[in-house]
Amino acid sequence: MNLQLRIAGAAGQGVETTGDLLVDAFAGIGLHVFATQTYMSRVRGGLNWFDVRIGDGELFSGRRRADLLVCLSKEGLEWLRGEMADPGVILFNGAAGEGVTGIEFEQIAKDLGGSAIMANTVAAGAVLAALGYEVGKLEELLRDRFARKGEEVVVANIACVRKGAELGTAAAGKLKAPQPAGAPSGICSGNEAVGLAAATAGVKFVTSYPMTPSTGVFTFVAGVADEYGILVEQAEDEIAAINMVCGAAYAGVPAMTTTSGGGFALMVEGLALAGMLELPAFIFLGQRPGPATGLPTRTAQQDLQFAIHAGHGEFAKAILAPGTPQQCYDLTRHGLELAHKYQTPVILMSDQFLADMRKNCTGLDTSYRPINRYVIEDAGESYLRYAVTDSGVSPRALPGGEAFVVLDSDEHTEDGHITEDLEARVRLQNKRLRKLDGMKAEALAPAWHGPPEADHVLVCWGSTYGSCREAVDRLNATGRPTAMLQFAQVWPLDAGAIRPRLGTRRVTCVEGNATGQFASVLREVGALSDCEMILKYDGLPFTGEEIAERVTS
Amino acid sequence: MNKHFFDTDIAWCPGCGNFPILRTLDKAIAAAGVDRRKLVLVSGIGQAAKLPHYTQANVFNGLHGRALPAAVGIKLANQELEVVITSGDGDMYGEGGNHFLHNLRRNVGVKAFVHNNQVYGLTKGQASPTSDLGFVTKVQTHGVVSPPFNPLAIAIAEDCSFVARSFAGDPKHLQEMMVAALQHKGGFTLLDILQPCPTFNKVNTYQWYRERVKPIPDTHDAYDRAKALELAFHWGDEIPIGILYLSKRPSFEEQQVVLSKGTLVGQYAGR
Repeated sequence: MNLQLRIAGAAGQGVETTGDLLVDAFAGIGLHVFATQTYMSRVRGGLNWFDVRIGDGELFSGRRRADLLVCLSKEGLEWLRGEMADPGVILFNGAAGEGVTGIEFEQIAKDLGGSAIMANTVAAGAVLAALGYEVGKLEELLRDRFARKGEEVVVANIACVRKGAELGTAAAGKLKAPQPAGAPSGICSGNEAVGLAAATAGVKFVTSYPMTPSTGVFTFVAGVADEYGILVEQAEDEIAAINMVCGAAYAGVPAMTTTSGGGFALMVEGLALAGMLELPAFIFLGQRPGPATGLPTRTAQQDLQFAIHAGHGEFAKAILAPGTPQQCYDLTRHGLELAHKYQTPVILMSDQFLADMRKNCTGLDTSYRPINRYVIEDAGESYLRYAVTDSGVSPRALPGGEAFVVLDSDEHTEDGHITEDLEARVRLQNKRLRKLDGMKAEALAPAWHGPPEADHVLVCWGSTYGSCREAVDRLNATGRPTAMLQFAQVWPLDAGAIRPRLGTRRVTCVEGNATGQFASVLREVGALSDCEMILKYDGLPFTGEEIAERVTS
Repeated sequence: MNKHFFDTDIAWCPGCGNFPILRTLDKAIAAAGVDRRKLVLVSGIGQAAKLPHYTQANVFNGLHGRALPAAVGIKLANQELEVVITSGDGDMYGEGGNHFLHNLRRNVGVKAFVHNNQVYGLTKGQASPTSDLGFVTKVQTHGVVSPPFNPLAIAIAEDCSFVARSFAGDPKHLQEMMVAALQHKGGFTLLDILQPCPTFNKVNTYQWYRERVKPIPDTHDAYDRAKALELAFHWGDEIPIGILYLSKRPSFEEQQVVLSKGTLVGQYAGR
């Protein structure tokens, strides 16, 4: 049992505020929530919407058609009324009409609260009442939220909620709403989870150039920087950011930068530097549709091949791709560990869909638990930064101690000094690349979901996880045995471990790009010979129902 | 030091201005009382950028044009390290121009010793951002038409913490400037060093500079920004050397709450 709610309006009208308020209120009463945003690249005007799906069981994706639509603008009504489920409820900021309940959200807010800003509280009250929920939890949230601003503001907001609820009741009874199911009341987004994991894992330096959809991680870390002791600096460009990260990593602090496709492109030389200098650089890459500026505020999974092959020359790197906010948290920590254990760059790939994805979260650990940096403290005068070892990993000392720590982006000997000794070149290049063996051996195994005997398997990576999972559940419920294999680590891959999972099954790769990039990667490493593909690259995320439909059509 | 056959000889031409800069740097480190264990020499790419390999220190020899952001990352992670950049005019003012501009604003306490020979050496003789008008090369066959970048004027305009110029052909003056730079407490420290390139710059020779450099008189008040700016525009018959400008502006580090509690690397508190 679930419903899809959509709040639409122009940028600046409080679409996100209304959505956030509802998400917190629903989670507060124990409903499962899955929320995501669709917005245009502008500060004012246009048409943005915030989707909230609520249910009595865990939710992993959204739905295309809305059961309830709140329109703060006329454009919202024009564009989105064709995307309604049947029966559907429309609450419109204006006059009532055919199939439309008119509630003057902004006028009521002005009358009761003295400001149009409170239109979002009126709307939230109306939505709850239209679905037959009590507004008590919402009032409690508003009291907490506005306590700092004084009793007057609290009272005005509550008056707005009650008026909204009174008018929203007119639309009640049309939709059957899910009953609270004891879901966790905490909510977190993909970007917040990455930021929190970085702060708790001991990242001490974060430097970025703002770029949608990665900026949320940057601002989250800035918000908790004083609490966790993090230096946050806005870089003049992405080239500076990655080079500052390399410098800080050399000096011994876990460091990170956040970016998206175009910014990542600028970082690529610095990425190779981290590979050559063997530095634990951690990069958060939030994808959006390209090429070039593309669709700045939409979603895509188009930069996988680019990320895998990013950097001139050959060097070891790992790429992780979480599918939920919880996985964002876990894999950020894991990625930082990996970067330090192997002294090489690690990229965490997200996208706009996952960045803005909000889901119930069961208490992410906020305590400071610094990861192991794998540094040595007893390096003496004969220390060699790039000592050749079987694993390829050389003992890492930090500058400032007894030993000189010498790094060079030129080819170098074991002591780190520049060389054109070509035998040394081969020895050192082999050493660096040997790290890939260890990284492959401990690569995260892909996760199976669905019946073990299913002869059709959907392969996905990154944010497509949730939609695929819902599709698999839908397909099995309709008597089509289907399973899925989710890759949370997309590079390097252990082909030997993947082949038996796919076997002779029918394989469909589901990806948010136009060319089937991960399918190519699987073929390249010899883990897959042939497959079908379900691809999407219109800037919007997959829904579970969409994947299920495309599998059966 | 590197002991391998291919690297025993220094990669600089005979008579290169980098030699006196290296010798003087070694003396200045001793004279300023800098602990080499706490010293990190940061460089990008170019002939000047090879200097860290020819002395004793921690070394971060990174990418062309990117010495500055790497140095800033090192300094912010551990303010107790003395971070000195040794790079050329192409590295600092050309490829790294944007970092130069914004780090003048940022004012992190790293020291940039820029070996300014007004020409690209490692790529064999093209114009640099500081080449004089009319300078003819195999690329600028009709002579340079873009006026030279004025790093000192820009630094003063951006209220840089320490702005000085010296000359590789005057080791005594150079050592004095290097020691002053190393001992400077504050933000970004810029020492532009006029450096002859006997192979690719046949115009700005030892002789050419020697006839023109003129120490700034002791009466100059380095905190006077207008006077400093006026000095920075002197170029041609007379080139002032010495400390042009000093600013009392607080460094970036001083303004960070998190750094008031100690170094970031110290606050890590983990393995």
